[in-house]
Amino acid sequence: MEFQSCFDIIGPIMIGPSSSHTAGAVSIGKFAYHLLGETLPNQATITLYDSFSQTYQGHGTDKALIGGLLGMGTDDTRIKQALNLAERYGVEYTFQLKESCPYFDHPNVAVISAKNSRQKVKVGGASLGGGLAKIFSINDYEVDIRVSTDDDLGGNLSSLIPRLSLKSRMEVLK
Amino acid sequence: MKVSSMADLLITCEKDGHSIADCMIAMELENSGLGREQVFNKMKERLLKMKAAVASGKTDGSDAPSGISGGDAVKMGDYIQQGKALTGNLISTAMRYAMSTSECNARMGVIVATPTAGSAGVLPGVLFSFHDNEGYNLDQLTKGLFTASLLGYIIANNSFISGAAGGCQAEVGSATAMAAGTIVELKGGSPRQAVHATAIAMKSLLGLVCDPVAGLVEVPCIKRNVIGTAIAFSAADMALAGIESRIPCDEVIEAMYKIGKEMPRTLRETSLGGLAATPTAQKVKERLYKRGSEQ
Repeated sequence: MEFQSCFDIIGPIMIGPSSSHTAGAVSIGKFAYHLLGETLPNQATITLYDSFSQTYQGHGTDKALIGGLLGMGTDDTRIKQALNLAERYGVEYTFQLKESCPYFDHPNVAVISAKNSRQKVKVGGASLGGGLAKIFSINDYEVDIRVSTDDDLGGNLSSLIPRLSLKSRMEVLK
Repeated sequence: MKVSSMADLLITCEKDGHSIADCMIAMELENSGLGREQVFNKMKERLLKMKAAVASGKTDGSDAPSGISGGDAVKMGDYIQQGKALTGNLISTAMRYAMSTSECNARMGVIVATPTAGSAGVLPGVLFSFHDNEGYNLDQLTKGLFTASLLGYIIANNSFISGAAGGCQAEVGSATAMAAGTIVELKGGSPRQAVHATAIAMKSLLGLVCDPVAGLVEVPCIKRNVIGTAIAFSAADMALAGIESRIPCDEVIEAMYKIGKEMPRTLRETSLGGLAATPTAQKVKERLYKRGSEQ
């Protein structure tokens, strides 16, 4: 039973055109924004894999990822202008297009490396469809976090960091 | 409370004389821990976003960034106003509003995925036609969204709702099936009749492939949403007349799942087959790709 709520079916409220290629991409970008402590990065490199790299322009996947990285939600009307806004805020970004992702087997994958003067983060995410996204890696450590666009990530992430470091330690012990 | 099939749903509804919408609200209250008013308002917020998308597309005749869609909802509106629509007010208005919502989606406007963005036109089309033509108020339409979501919830958990997974039958097919059942419940039909309408609508779209031109949610997606509204009304009319689906709804959903599983990858949102592989579609793709690489 993957779908658990009426709002998984009627929702999310989102900027079109695609729940998997636009809304899910916003969520992956926004996850990185939260991980940066809800501050803007000054530099970001985003790698798009497989279907994301094939169709990103038509679906606005690039705008969606950058919009999320600037802290926008799936229904933020500024997403359409996200690339211009990034320049205005002094966020330098580069997109790299690759075929299939070596770390995670899914057609809609993006990996974001972003940094500012305070910290550096790397987030791997897959957009699963219907607006749901899955974060599969943080700073090269494997994680499994389901992000519904309905969630308020702000409150959750501080509790995520200790869990992450525990998992990282376990990785090292292996 | 857990409803995992349409058969379960009918047992639950008929035991206590509840509607499908009541049943969904009860489930959501139990699962979320939120209050009734909060849950209702959260759904109403979605309805209001749908209303805004319908309104924007009614007057905005601009093209989508791709240049391959836009302006058709305005044409449909003009035609209806001239009194020419063959399908009558209820269906032609639903067609117009489905088109305006799906055009809004293609333009990167705000929409509500119902159940996906690619199939976001059908339900708002049907609901706001009821609003305009039959005087249904926003609270009644919000209840309709609860009906639709429980039907969609059962479909999604037993089959799929994305074109990449199961073809367009899973997207516009599911949205149309949800809309058909919702119409029946809005018109005072029983949950059993609503489930028959859901089955009848879904049967008529089984096998529909997902073949978007240049990978965009525009051609043929927008017009399929429009046609979906007409199918939803036909299915609802049959169910309200007392006509039953000879194949139970749960078996129709299972058939949809099996068809999707057998559907080749070229016809599941990869833009490698069907309409996406036509010479015209290839030209569109080349033009867009060229423009993209020059940027």
